Amino acid sequence: MRSAFRYLLAILLCGFSFVTVQAQCPARPDSGTVVKDALTLDSVNGVLNADFTMKHSVDTAGFNHYCYIYDTAKGEVEAPTLRLNQGDHLVLDVKDRIESTDEGETSGMEMDMSGAPVCGDTGTPTLASTNVHFHGLNVPPVCHQDDVLTTLIQPNKPAFRFDMQIPKDEPPGLYWYHPHIHGFTEFQVNGGAAGALIVEGMEKVRPEVKGLTQRVFTIRQQYLVPWIPGPYQLTINFQVAASPSFPAPIIQMKPGEKQFWRVVNATIQDFMPLQVWFNGNPQKLEVIALDGYPLAKPRTQETILVPPAGRAEFIVQAPPEGTQAEFISLGYSTGPTGNPDLEQELGSIQLTSDDGTQTAATKPAQPGPPVTTENIKFADLEKQKPTTLRKLYFSEEFGGTNGPIQFYITVDGQKQKVFEANEKPVITTHVGAVEDWIIENHALETHAFHIHQIHFLLLEVDGKPVPTELRDTYEIPFWEGPGHPYHSIKGRFDFRDPTIAGTFVFHCHILLHEDLGMMHKILVLPKEE
Amino acid sequence: MRISLRSWFAYLTPLLVVGLCFVSGFAVGADHPHYVVTNDDVPPSLATSVTFYTVATNGQLTMKTKVLTGRGGIGGGYFAANRVTVVDSGNAECVYASDAQTGEIQGISVKTLEIAGHANGSKKDTGASNGIGLAMNAQYLYASFTDFSTIGTFQVLPGCKLKFVSDITVAGLQSGIVDGMVIHGDMMVVTYGDGSIESFNISAGVPVSNGDEQNSTGSRRGNTYPSGIDITQDGHYAIFGDTSPFTIVEVSDISSGKLTPTVVYRLGNALNSSNVLLSPDETLLYISNNQSGKLTAVFFDKTTGKLSKGCVSRALKGFVTDWSYTASLALEKTTGTGGMVYVAEFGAPSSIGEIEVTSSGGKCTLTESSKSPIADPNSPGLLSIGAFPPRPF
Repeated sequence: MRSAFRYLLAILLCGFSFVTVQAQCPARPDSGTVVKDALTLDSVNGVLNADFTMKHSVDTAGFNHYCYIYDTAKGEVEAPTLRLNQGDHLVLDVKDRIESTDEGETSGMEMDMSGAPVCGDTGTPTLASTNVHFHGLNVPPVCHQDDVLTTLIQPNKPAFRFDMQIPKDEPPGLYWYHPHIHGFTEFQVNGGAAGALIVEGMEKVRPEVKGLTQRVFTIRQQYLVPWIPGPYQLTINFQVAASPSFPAPIIQMKPGEKQFWRVVNATIQDFMPLQVWFNGNPQKLEVIALDGYPLAKPRTQETILVPPAGRAEFIVQAPPEGTQAEFISLGYSTGPTGNPDLEQELGSIQLTSDDGTQTAATKPAQPGPPVTTENIKFADLEKQKPTTLRKLYFSEEFGGTNGPIQFYITVDGQKQKVFEANEKPVITTHVGAVEDWIIENHALETHAFHIHQIHFLLLEVDGKPVPTELRDTYEIPFWEGPGHPYHSIKGRFDFRDPTIAGTFVFHCHILLHEDLGMMHKILVLPKEE
Repeated sequence: MRISLRSWFAYLTPLLVVGLCFVSGFAVGADHPHYVVTNDDVPPSLATSVTFYTVATNGQLTMKTKVLTGRGGIGGGYFAANRVTVVDSGNAECVYASDAQTGEIQGISVKTLEIAGHANGSKKDTGASNGIGLAMNAQYLYASFTDFSTIGTFQVLPGCKLKFVSDITVAGLQSGIVDGMVIHGDMMVVTYGDGSIESFNISAGVPVSNGDEQNSTGSRRGNTYPSGIDITQDGHYAIFGDTSPFTIVEVSDISSGKLTPTVVYRLGNALNSSNVLLSPDETLLYISNNQSGKLTAVFFDKTTGKLSKGCVSRALKGFVTDWSYTASLALEKTTGTGGMVYVAEFGAPSSIGEIEVTSSGGKCTLTESSKSPIADPNSPGLLSIGAFPPRPF
């Protein structure tokens, strides 16, 4: 009936599931070891075929693991990185083999799915159900592609096939995939169910990265007891980053070497101001792309703020020998009612002649027409005249000691309400529309706005113009209270591509907020005749 | 809200009151106990308890005893859920407290300071997420269970015992969970955690909706949500303390027996105003500024239902360093402006703040007493306190 009730039930089930669940996921790396990149799966002749199996287990410390398993000749690996080119096909078969002996998980929670279309398996979504969202990809919101509203993969059913073409003008860059079952997303992502997806060709757009060793770092987050507010434990490529309690993960570089780091913030709630320190001093980082979209012009900065679900791609130059170097996420205030995001060393940079066998060098440029920042999707968006201006706002209710209890994202003028699976879209538009949205934050907690299917052009922050950036997730800081204006962003949203037609969602990417209903639907109708 | 059926005594002559009070137990006398009580809300690893403090003639609190309930609390939850309530109807002097983890309601005899009775509701009547609020009259006790948003009705039996009658499931207009709850006469008023409010008819015991569920005026404007509630002695106005980034109170005229659209009062900038309590003479409304560690008092006109700005305390001693939130309120006296104001201070351990009040000529002051705060070492998360005997409405 109420999503908060589902959440309560789920945390109870999740919190005590270690009593019954046997190990299904592979062991994760020990603390203080060399950070290895995930296994890479490349497309071959324009197609990437892969089979994933979603499993669940609980480790000896009590942490729940939800894992995308890929079988190799050497055994099972977790959450491979998918690499495709523009125009390639991704064919991904996903089986759900989450085992549960708990009646509550298999019998389903109270979720009204009446009237909702079905894609895949039928039944009620539960903690043991899953699906996949291809975060950031500009692909259609339809069944078997990137449709989180109706796609349901149930335990012990045949594999569900995702089959989509990466658009030929898809921006080269870093994307990611994760489950998106409303009400249960946080539990599975908290358990580690997330992986990187790369659309190749960055070196064509940004030759600065050509020939550089690439590292793909997926930062995840895990809690042991879900009802205790964060900050929770961070991991980097599944290795716990919790120094000084645990030895720091080791990132290997050659002295003076430039590497191209591609970082996914796959945490459930952590805003990460990333820095690289040499002897305690922050260094300049050359930012190449944000949220999988290459910057028109690289820029140099010491801190790159990556909200939950955001991505940052940047060049790091290792220091000379004898320098102490670290990869850091600084502390970040999410406001009076937000969870604390504490400073954490994500990795200790070890200078070595061995650049690590686990790393992957950038592949040579693929043949075909040149890719530039001018011929990728949304390149002309800045010049388009908006057809509509909308205003939305985040708000929440804080009625006790356990944090906010109601989370809303509301179209200005409409009644604030939490998301329900069978709700009508709160925004209806048409293919061909170009809309400007102002999104304010009325809450005493920072939120991370995300929209599926498209990137948006960031126009303004707090009413002031900002350098051109295409983003799919962006932070909106908390309201400081009386006497202060609401923080806001203004973005331009492009619905001109006919393949965008359909229903999809926008929401806060703090996953608890999303699960508790800080999300709504948008319907893009076919082009008006 | 604490209830006494003897409110009509207030209209009798002072001599009659004095004469009857020894029979009714209504007044505070040498042989009549005078307590401030806490629901210690201890998480389930330890047994939770109710702590009794005696009240000296100068309003100072002294811990008397801890009554173990044998069950578990949760150490937190909604500010506006009253986890402890009292009844003083002459032949019944009882304190009732909820155990959030187990969903049990405990009845404690004020005379013996021992558990006298207890009861559970149905299987879904639990409050492990955000607590269990209580409200009562001499016939029934009502419990708001936050896990599945149910309100249970319990019959009050002699000897501080209870008998479960039934429960109903309630929900806000935006699916909010029951938050604040108060009763007055045949009316129950509740708030939901989504900005909506609703009243019920309890003349037959079990609540029946009056069909007046609505979003409060403040919540329709956004970012402010009714939470705690008080009702005037004549039942004319329901007063809502809002969870809000300001000090906001909303007032609804309920003289028709139904909620009417609320009037919004912005009364200051202190953060959050979830708990409210009228003074016995209804000239002042005390407001707990939950996240500022302050207490606000505003002037109330019981004839018109209008509020006007009054005074605000400094941040109470120990805020941030020793405790995190203020929560429910209780009063030393059952007359006038209530004497000393007590406020629950949520910390580990918790404490009770003591605030002295002056009010004259349209001005007031709130000053923390020199001995404040009084420690509650029994509570790792104090949110609810009450006073015995209760305010006479």
